[in-house]
Amino acid sequence: MPGPYDVVVIGGGPGGYNAAIRAAQLGLKTACIEKRAVKDAVAFGGTCLNVGCIPSKALLFASERFEDASKHFASIGIKVTPEIDLPGMMGHKERTVDQLVKGVSFLFKKNKVDPYFGTGRIVSATQVELTGPDGTKETLETKNIIIATGSEVMPLPGVTVDEKVIVSSTGILSLSEVPKRLTVIGAGIIGLELGSVWRRLGAEVTVIEYLDRIVPGVDGDVAKEFQKILTRQGIKFKLATKVTKAEPGASGVTVTMEPAAGGAAETLETDILLVCIGRRPFIEGLGAKEAGVAIDKRGRVETDGHGRTNVPGIWVVGDVTTGPMLAHKAEDEAMAVAELIAGKAGHVNYDVIPSVVYTHPEVASVGKTEDELKAAGVAYKTGKFPFTANARAKTVAEKDGFVKIIADAKTDRVLGCHIIGPEAGNLIMEVAVAMEFGASSEDIARTCHPHPTLTEGVRQAALGVDNRIMQM
Amino acid sequence: MKKDMICKLLIIGTGPGGYIAAIRAGQLGIDTVIVEAKKAGGTCLNVGCIPSKALIHAAEEYEKVLHYAEGKSPLGIGLAAPTLDLGRTIAWKDDIVRRLNNGVAGLLKKAKVPVVHGWARFKDGKTVEVETETGPQIVRAETVIIATGSAPIELPFLPFGGNVISSTEALALKTLPATMAVVGGGYIGLELGIAFAKLGTKVTVVEAESRVLPLYDAELTRPVMKRLADLGVAVLTGAKAKGVSAKGDALLISTADGADEKIAAEKILVTVGRKPVTEGWGLEEIDLDMAGRFIKIDDQCRTSMRGIYAIGDVTGEPMLAHRAMAQGEMVAEIVAGHKRSWDKRCIPAICFTDPEIVSAGLSPDEARKVSPEIKIGQFPFSANGRAMTKLAEDGWVRVVARADNHLVLGIQAVGVGVSELSTSFGLAIEMGARLEDIAGTIHAHPTQGEGFQEAALKALGHALHI
Ligand SMILES: Cc1cc2nc3c(=O)[nH]c(=O)nc-3n(C[C@H](O)[C@H](O)[C@H](O)COP(=O)(O)OP(=O)(O)OC[C@H]3O[C@@H](n4cnc5c(N)ncnc54)[C@H](O)[C@@H]3O)c2cc1C
Ligand SMILES: Cc1cc2nc3c(=O)[nH]c(=O)nc-3n(C[C@H](O)[C@H](O)[C@H](O)COP(=O)(O)OP(=O)(O)OC[C@H]3O[C@@H](n4cnc5c(N)ncnc54)[C@H](O)[C@@H]3O)c2cc1C
Repeated sequence: MPGPYDVVVIGGGPGGYNAAIRAAQLGLKTACIEKRAVKDAVAFGGTCLNVGCIPSKALLFASERFEDASKHFASIGIKVTPEIDLPGMMGHKERTVDQLVKGVSFLFKKNKVDPYFGTGRIVSATQVELTGPDGTKETLETKNIIIATGSEVMPLPGVTVDEKVIVSSTGILSLSEVPKRLTVIGAGIIGLELGSVWRRLGAEVTVIEYLDRIVPGVDGDVAKEFQKILTRQGIKFKLATKVTKAEPGASGVTVTMEPAAGGAAETLETDILLVCIGRRPFIEGLGAKEAGVAIDKRGRVETDGHGRTNVPGIWVVGDVTTGPMLAHKAEDEAMAVAELIAGKAGHVNYDVIPSVVYTHPEVASVGKTEDELKAAGVAYKTGKFPFTANARAKTVAEKDGFVKIIADAKTDRVLGCHIIGPEAGNLIMEVAVAMEFGASSEDIARTCHPHPTLTEGVRQAALGVDNRIMQM
Repeated sequence: MKKDMICKLLIIGTGPGGYIAAIRAGQLGIDTVIVEAKKAGGTCLNVGCIPSKALIHAAEEYEKVLHYAEGKSPLGIGLAAPTLDLGRTIAWKDDIVRRLNNGVAGLLKKAKVPVVHGWARFKDGKTVEVETETGPQIVRAETVIIATGSAPIELPFLPFGGNVISSTEALALKTLPATMAVVGGGYIGLELGIAFAKLGTKVTVVEAESRVLPLYDAELTRPVMKRLADLGVAVLTGAKAKGVSAKGDALLISTADGADEKIAAEKILVTVGRKPVTEGWGLEEIDLDMAGRFIKIDDQCRTSMRGIYAIGDVTGEPMLAHRAMAQGEMVAEIVAGHKRSWDKRCIPAICFTDPEIVSAGLSPDEARKVSPEIKIGQFPFSANGRAMTKLAEDGWVRVVARADNHLVLGIQAVGVGVSELSTSFGLAIEMGARLEDIAGTIHAHPTQGEGFQEAALKALGHALHI
């Protein structure tokens, strides 16, 4: 029997593989179990590397370059007529994924994590049963278990994903041709990113959303601007609309929908239907419930806020527990839990978790939104600055979007920042670092921001909190 | 004779130093007048940062599609060779400059600061005479800010004119020269040299020092050197420019080993540095103390004469627009009676070369001088997922910290798009961050910023992704 281990991690996504690496770095004897197979070999990296962040960003980048070349270069003096070579573009995606997935195995070797290929099941707080791809079973003895089994696509009643014409976020990443019509159910981050990819490549894209707004959870101002820009780019929105049925037929899929508030049904024909209404925690076959681990109403493994479940010795990180389903949140929890197991002071600051949407322009935010602060009765001030007044944006032929900084009305402490604009994902980090320091908007305003950069827009927004924007 | 203008604050020069000082002064209700001999926005907006970055952007995009057209695109974008319409590119750039000019004029108006157009000259410490188109105008002020900026240095044996040009003319070329020699491998020369090389010019860089970008450490410039070679830019280090050939179509140099050589060059771009503008405006009348070529200032930008401040390039290195702006803002506040002094711990510098370079705080060598022992963490973009998706794997982020208490002393990066990471670096240093602070801040995935966090983790001895 292998082991005994100090830590057995179940799941090899950003939560699992980072927990394993950090635990091993801290001198703990560590194993990581992953069931995902690609070409019959184990593929670590989880959703993120295999069918999430990385492949989607690779296609977003390539399709954005294509659109730039087709539509935007003429105005800066470059004449060119590009064509898409879809297999070539998929090649870029596959190479990127492949390198990173192999990279995780290399990191395991380097840090002395024992990798296991198969499905892990919790037998007790000190035993994990591993079922290999050929069905052979073995049991790993361990002092600690970290559950990092991640999430899966949320199904929609009445719509059966076949990954051919009715696809999930996984299938859409590997279409073999550009559909003429693509319909996306769900105007969340993933739906809009992937909708944008195929729109750029030539699909007519319609997004259907149950709520009367897009990207729920994102700051309202930003969401409004975002919808305006995406509409201008050619995406059609059907908001406050509920899909009740989708039927594949000879020429695509017939989608039946009705107003969310009730009313007459209508239908829409599409070549490909993407179901993107969210993700749900994945604990199938894990044996967590049987081992006495508390699971909440939404199927999430409960924690004490520091990664401990109710069963001593069983820990949890990532999408399978509460909090935003983001890779870097999973990674930070992973580091904290590994450090706690090693007797150190690991900690996750849930108030400062940035999030990024990789459309063009990008959308990024950290901290509280105005809506959240209003609901909590916190008095705040805002400063807002548009990229039209930023010199760097002009020199890179960008004009859309703005930065909004929210600060406490009394103390000036930064409470949140919401950006829609070029490179928003890079710009948000300055504010995240500032928030970790409990910075005021004045701290940001008094920090030298190099010229000409887009970051100057963040500084101007910070000045705006004190009503003294200088560049507008 | 025009009626004298009387004001509380007079600012000479509308570059980033001057115009920001004026706007801030206006916000603070100070009765302010600003003088400009040329166009609003100074070097930066008219012939510096802005037009150069526009040209660099266009050149970068052009070179990329050209590369795709050669069938080398790993992205699956097929195309026939693109064509460049340089006239269109320059018109686009000119339009940006025009809009920003108008923008600055509009901001000054909004701040209720009148602009007097013409060359200013001190008569005494409180009186300036401006030669306007319609005759001399006297302006009397309680306080004066000198923000006269800088101008390209001219080499006596390569005077500007004809085919010998400065960055200003290089940014306004109507046709693409087939060949160009760049004299001086500092950031301005390399930024423009790389842009022209991408547009199709055969570029040769001549640098007297043993390497280009001598102000940055050698490791930081290595990815740029590699890219220069890929782009076919010839770099001659240890070489001295000596003059122009008789026909005016070549640069004469003596090479590192002392041989005389001729470099064919339709244009010779001289970028050997910039000098403060300290002549022609009556420095002699007010007799300010100098610090070398520059006007001497204290930590509130005060000169040796009471009531006269100096800001921006005329006060020394680093000659950067954001330093000028920060000084301008501070002086306006001081004039308004606020308690301010120069307490910036970090003014990040960016080279918009390919790849870009950012340096904030101290380099490893500089850090060793203030801290007996240091820790360095360097993380390559080749191990960063976002960089991989963007085909931007060259380069890295490096964090330099004290070994004893992990205080971050410097952060450098080289790589595609790192310019937008610069403020994260600067802010961390400004806030007095320790390595643990950076390592403990959640960086969004997948972004290049994760490289910063990983570099801090590496310095702490436990990087996750390498
Ligand atoms: C299209 C798409 C785009 C995304 N883009 C981003 C983005 O840009 N930024 C971002 O931050 N997040 C993004 N996400 C979300 C991100 O992928 C997740 O938040 C992240 O992967 C969660 O990490 P995790 O380790 O908790 O779980 P996962 O990555 O889901 O990994 C869990 C792993 O556990 C394995 N597993 C499950 N049960 C068992 C078992 N019993 N035995 C063995 N193995 C098991 C699974 O096979 C899986 O590989 C995206 C997601 C999708 C779908
Ligand atoms: C090609 C190039 C690229 C650059 N790129 C960057 C970059 O990317 N980032 C960066 O930070 N910096 C960059 N710089 C440097 C930047 O332009 C300067 O640091 C900045 O402009 C300095 O601002 P200033 O206000 O001190 O002076 P200036 O911008 O030089 O402005 C001075 C103004 O004063 C006027 N003036 C002078 N004397 C008088 C007088 N007696 N009467 C009336 N008017 C007068 C001048 O006409 C001028 O308009 C670049 C420079 C060049 C040349």
